Amino acid sequence: MIYGDRHTGILVQGATGQQGSFHIPHMNTYARSVGGRGVVAGVTPGKGGQEVHGVPVYDSVRAAIAEHDVGAAVIFVPAAAATDSIMEEAHAGIPVIVAITERIPVHDTMKAIAYARMEGATVIGPNCPGLISPGEVKLGIIPAHLASRGPVGVISRSGTLTYEVIHELTRAGIGQSTVVGIGGDPVIGQTFTDVLERFRHDPATKAVVVIGEVGGALEEEGVASTDIPVVGYIAGVSAPPEKRMGHAGAIVEGGEGDAASKIRRMEALGVPVARRVAEIPALVKEFL
Amino acid sequence: MRLLECEAKEIYARYGIPVPKGVRVKAGEPVPADLATIGPELVLKAQVEVGGRGKAGGILPATPADAPRVAEELFQKEIRGVPVREILIEERLLIRHEFYLSILVDRSSRQPLILFAEAGGVDIEQAARETPEAVRRVTVSPLLSEVPPFALRDLLGDMVKEFGPVVNRLWKVFREKDAILAEVNPLVTTDRGVFAADAKLIVDDNALTRQGITVNRDLSPREREAESHGFSYVELDGTIGVIGNGAGLTMATLDLIQFYGGRAANFLDVGGGADKERVKHAVRLVAGRPGVKVILVNLLGGITRCDDVARGILDAGVAQTVMVRLAGTNEAEGKAILDGRGYPMFATMDEAVKAAVEAGA
Repeated sequence: MIYGDRHTGILVQGATGQQGSFHIPHMNTYARSVGGRGVVAGVTPGKGGQEVHGVPVYDSVRAAIAEHDVGAAVIFVPAAAATDSIMEEAHAGIPVIVAITERIPVHDTMKAIAYARMEGATVIGPNCPGLISPGEVKLGIIPAHLASRGPVGVISRSGTLTYEVIHELTRAGIGQSTVVGIGGDPVIGQTFTDVLERFRHDPATKAVVVIGEVGGALEEEGVASTDIPVVGYIAGVSAPPEKRMGHAGAIVEGGEGDAASKIRRMEALGVPVARRVAEIPALVKEFL
Repeated sequence: MRLLECEAKEIYARYGIPVPKGVRVKAGEPVPADLATIGPELVLKAQVEVGGRGKAGGILPATPADAPRVAEELFQKEIRGVPVREILIEERLLIRHEFYLSILVDRSSRQPLILFAEAGGVDIEQAARETPEAVRRVTVSPLLSEVPPFALRDLLGDMVKEFGPVVNRLWKVFREKDAILAEVNPLVTTDRGVFAADAKLIVDDNALTRQGITVNRDLSPREREAESHGFSYVELDGTIGVIGNGAGLTMATLDLIQFYGGRAANFLDVGGGADKERVKHAVRLVAGRPGVKVILVNLLGGITRCDDVARGILDAGVAQTVMVRLAGTNEAEGKAILDGRGYPMFATMDEAVKAAVEAGA
């Protein structure tokens, strides 16, 4: 439990949209199964007074928090409006903001994250699947049936690759404390360093899987910043340089951020790095 | 998307950054007759979106008299594999000193980062690796419309007067043009003042629409077609066509192919919630490339429904064998649709990749 628990009331921004209305019942089914509060309010400007799967919708975050105790927000609005949503929630005092939205221009992201920091809010994402603390809370779209409760934290820049990893961990009988998708964009609110710091202070977490990919150096920086046991995996060993591999942030630029150098640097810090996803559970077991 | 030097310079000039006098000439167009009005000595520069152009012979000196012949010579060339379709004819500057200036998006600080070095005209990545102290760095809050004076002092030391205005104009370009990199290398001093002798501007792909850019020239025609279907697609040179959902999982699939000794023909991420039609288009797109012997579909569904995916694969009806690994929502229904129809199915990524590598050899 590092960003919320079963007592966290969730606000969904973009509640009446296709994505929002699809994921609200999934989050609430999960909340019911673990005795959590789930989604308590939705926001879509102009749709105040409606309900989505029994969740009341408000015109603004301000109006929603006047009626509900909200500990975290999940954003499903389109890219053009997403950073306004981040700022609206931060301004309203919501401490944890998960931005699922992809394809946000990076200048907008930089501004929204800088603003949220000034307001004291923590942003996860954008372009991320959110997080799940099995048995406690799901903030976002990670398929809950793949996860199981246990001592291993997972941090990833990817969505479905994260699902693959927790699927493998669960099959190997290794449960997860919290799984955080930090997002595939070059600029993201919570980096590996930030999440590793939270895990270090989390009594439920004994070891962490860091799932990185080509582009930047956030993986190495994160691993170097902590003393919690870490197992690594880096996607994009076969990625050609100067090509964007799906994620806006997944690009080897100017000879920097390639998978081989990331793996080398992580291993130099004493971190075992799996060459295949299927190898991850065995490496994690060494630390448990 | 990376802009051409001439396009970047036109933007810089509009923002008040001095650039050399010059004229653009496209292949097949005549070279203007009045080149002497540009300058007594000229430089002809191939307009290609690749680095290391000078070393590859893409920049040639000329006089106004022999410029047409030199231009013809440049148009015959390929610069690092890229044909020259346009050149920029510029006045030759009498350079006193070369500097380096750029603004980029810094992932670690989540802010723009300004770089300045007193040695310009060089490979800055290499310079930064060899003598990191020679490159000065300042992060600036993305919320500020101007670079504050203290940051200019940190960046430029006693050269604030000389370069401060250029830094602030480039800052404006960087912000207003949604740049992920705005570079001037070299930034030169002459007896007529400061000039951007070269210009590199890369616009955020997520902001092309609002920048009025309709075609992403960084993409090949097939990559553009893929983009129009909402796929992320990169062409590679192997024999195994790959379709995955999610960038990370698709990359991991390519890596696993390489691990088991195979070669992928492409990277194709169909995106979240792929339905029948999208899967059909994806399979056909991948199958349509020459040299693709086998296709591997690796989909792990959260939102994606396996029965939809299976119908899409069936509808595509391509000649190559399609190997399938499906997991997630409606998995059993999906498998039932493909069962007995010649689509090998696998429970894990490793098994699927091994089989595809064998078939693609």
